[in-house]
Amino acid sequence: MRLSFSVNGDDQDLEVEPRELLLDVLRQRLDLTSVHAACEQGSCGTCTVLVDGVAVRSCLLFAIQMQGREVRTVEDLAADGELHPLQRAFSEHHALQCGFCTPAMVLSALELLEQSRAPTRPEIEHALAGNLCRCTGYTSIVDAVEAAAASLAGRP
Amino acid sequence: MTTIEEHPVVTPSGIGDSPRRVEDARFLTGQAEYLADVRLPGARHMAILRSPVAHARISGVDLEPAKAMPGVRAAFTGSELAALSRPFSHLLPIPTIKPLEWSVLAVDKVRFVGEPVAVVVADSRYEAEDALEAVVVDYDELDPVVDPEAALVAGAPLLYEDWGSNEFLFVPFSSGDVEGAFASAEHVLKERFTQHRITGMPLEGHGACGQYDSAAGRLLLYASTQQPHNLRTVLADVTGLSEAKIRVVAPDMGGGFGNKQHFMREEALVAVVAMQVPFPVVWVQDRWEAFSASVHSRDQIHEVEVAYQGDGRVLGLRARIVADLGNPVLYFTGAAPALVTTGLMTGVYDIPNYAYELHCAATNKCPIGAYRGFGQPQAFFTIERVMDLVADQLGMDPVDVRRVNLIPDEPRPFVSPVGFLYDTGSFREQLDSVVDAVGYRDLRARQQDERARGRYLGVGLASMVEATAPNLHGFAGRFGGFEMAMVSVQPDGRVNVVVGTKSQGQGHETVFAQVASEVLGVAMEEIDVRSGDTGVLPYGMGTWGSRSAVMGGGAVIKAAEKIRDQMLDIAAHMLQTPRAEVTVGDGVFRAGDATLPFGAVAGAAYLHTFLLPPGTDMGLCVVASYDPGNTSPFPDESGRLNPAATYATASGVAVVEVDPNTGQVFVEDALMSHDCGRIINPMIVDGQIQGAFAQAIGAVLLEEIVYGDDGQILTSTLLDYLVPAFGNVPRIRALHRETPSALPGGFRGAGEGALIVMTAAIANAIADAVKPLGVRVTQTNLSASRVRRLLRAAGVALDPVAGMRFRGLNLPVDAS
Repeated sequence: MRLSFSVNGDDQDLEVEPRELLLDVLRQRLDLTSVHAACEQGSCGTCTVLVDGVAVRSCLLFAIQMQGREVRTVEDLAADGELHPLQRAFSEHHALQCGFCTPAMVLSALELLEQSRAPTRPEIEHALAGNLCRCTGYTSIVDAVEAAAASLAGRP
Repeated sequence: MTTIEEHPVVTPSGIGDSPRRVEDARFLTGQAEYLADVRLPGARHMAILRSPVAHARISGVDLEPAKAMPGVRAAFTGSELAALSRPFSHLLPIPTIKPLEWSVLAVDKVRFVGEPVAVVVADSRYEAEDALEAVVVDYDELDPVVDPEAALVAGAPLLYEDWGSNEFLFVPFSSGDVEGAFASAEHVLKERFTQHRITGMPLEGHGACGQYDSAAGRLLLYASTQQPHNLRTVLADVTGLSEAKIRVVAPDMGGGFGNKQHFMREEALVAVVAMQVPFPVVWVQDRWEAFSASVHSRDQIHEVEVAYQGDGRVLGLRARIVADLGNPVLYFTGAAPALVTTGLMTGVYDIPNYAYELHCAATNKCPIGAYRGFGQPQAFFTIERVMDLVADQLGMDPVDVRRVNLIPDEPRPFVSPVGFLYDTGSFREQLDSVVDAVGYRDLRARQQDERARGRYLGVGLASMVEATAPNLHGFAGRFGGFEMAMVSVQPDGRVNVVVGTKSQGQGHETVFAQVASEVLGVAMEEIDVRSGDTGVLPYGMGTWGSRSAVMGGGAVIKAAEKIRDQMLDIAAHMLQTPRAEVTVGDGVFRAGDATLPFGAVAGAAYLHTFLLPPGTDMGLCVVASYDPGNTSPFPDESGRLNPAATYATASGVAVVEVDPNTGQVFVEDALMSHDCGRIINPMIVDGQIQGAFAQAIGAVLLEEIVYGDDGQILTSTLLDYLVPAFGNVPRIRALHRETPSALPGGFRGAGEGALIVMTAAIANAIADAVKPLGVRVTQTNLSASRVRRLLRAAGVALDPVAGMRFRGLNLPVDAS
């Protein structure tokens, strides 16, 4: 089947099988390896991408469902080699250790920050609740998103 | 954990500073390369057919229908691959261990659900899995045995008929005068403790990608392994190739936690299959495989007898330990954590009269092996419960009972009953610091007030001493307790460090740059750290057992010191001054007012070698090995050994509230004091503590692997096996003590302590909370449903409607 969609601002035109997951098309066909497979059941959030600005599980979508849509992965975030303030905040607050959950975590946080300028800690935890991390114990991730929100809103 | 404001970035950064991590950039921008991201041109995908039954003879495997399916390139049975490879074995020359060999795939029997039986290689994983469904396997089912105690009873179904039993390993031990202690004691306590089965579950599972160049006879294997050099040695055994012809590369790893320190059948399977086909072969473990057929952990039963006096002093301890190993087809042996449990059972207490019997049972379940803590969480759960139970019996405060029994401050090293040499700081001071910091007396007062109001607060204490940087020889039959590192200075003065440890998220590229920076006198930014490639460094022992700072740090220090000394010689010659007057720091060699940039001295070694002192070798590259020399490769005749280069300590307290109607546990506060010796990067250590604390929360409140009586794994998805998520983990407060070890750098291990001590502290807190309700906690699995069962068994009437209002946490309402 023919699939035409936009990925990180580039138009893509691919021949895909009906059963091919969006996760696999992004990883294998477009080499966007920031999107990670960890459960393929929608229960860990590690495969999260933004589709038309909404955080979704790429393991629970067939690629063909992306017809005409815009997909965004973390490869799109750092412009001209400069980390996005959210990415900078993650490093600043040691909100990543092995990094496997990190691209998905950043995208989920990005969706939150595009909707809310000053999310509270419970709101951050709620928005990211679908993203598992086995390394950090979560508090540093909430710290990072809180700090990034302040930075993006021009607050100290 | 301290907040990040307490970790300012200092430039230049050395040991003790918290520079932000060098490796973050690639993880944040999607440029990291994990195993599944490795792209060898022409690679095909392997899928593994796994047993759907727990115990059966394999009477036939028919691959022909699979081979005919679209995209399929190759398929193999267990018998075929057994003929093309050599088997694994445990390699332990212990008289009381059973002989055991196993091949990359099951051949005549399957002994757990998920055991690998056949493989298909196809153009895509989709097509390979399609083909698996076409493979026909004839299983003659046998009765499974799932309970380890039932497995040890005569007449139980046998996993290995030639054993005559299911007891894989038996180890007895006695130290001091145990009989005398029990005869003279005023009181004896008997209790049975159970430790449930969990799994380390790194977010990225196992995986391997292999390519064989048949013309050159060279094998390349990428594997998500914590110990790449040791894996290479194992692959040489299994494939028959020499290590000179094998290169193992461990890429970026999405966690490990000990799960990835065993040498997996599947890793060797990929290697063996790659040698049969003309294209690279890749296998990526999926989540179902990770749950059913990876590495499980803990799963022990402790029956203890405690001889004690009226003042709380414990005179003697006997322990009968049954360790469920599942089907023990794991190398190095999955018995290793249980052996460590036996060594730490007396905890931080001075109990010289100690005897144990360890029975390791084989059952029809997934193999048991390493997970952060490595047998120590089990030991400390038990001994810390014992201290609380003794306190209960005597009407003493749990802190006072502990103080009566703590290992005294002298002598050092303190020799434990099993021969461990504790080189630690003061156990007493560490416990006291935590008791003070948490406001213990006020807590107890508040607990009384709350009980009067029908609310159940609990305070749980625990202390631990941990064997860090251990010697692996006793568990693996080889390998030892050393590390290697290579430090090279390039012609422009920049530095490459290659270390034999392997980070799975611990920030080694930053930490070892800090260490090398301090020795060489150049900025961290000038130093590039790498690891994981056997083609670059002769040997290494990987990352596990909280060993990297101690062993990797020791090797890096040794190599860097040699390089520094060589460069000081060259600089002295170039400056025409006596060697003793030359120093190096801030990237410059100095003698009085004369200076030489680091790069100028490096350039002399490569580009302008006429500047070198006569007789000096060209180039600047040192490969150093480091062995602290104080660990035993195996026990002596009395069964004693010192396995660890140094020991870390911790004391912790957890404060919980338990809802008597739903069994829910709310962790109100967690605090610990941690001593990992000299801290290299405080931010990273705090991250390890918070992360390990999260795993302790999971280990007690959420996670549990459950099998049915038929050996079917019932918890094989993340919907059944609950790991901590946002909102489950409060911030732990960590106090740091730095009692330097006697080793180079003064480091001790840091990564596992919080999981070990807080598992016991949380369990003790829950036990303390529910005590007034008549519940005696003797198990580690204390999820809400488990606590409800304990409450009901104690005759408590549950009111679930009231439970919905626990701590004002009403049922969530979606506001959108």
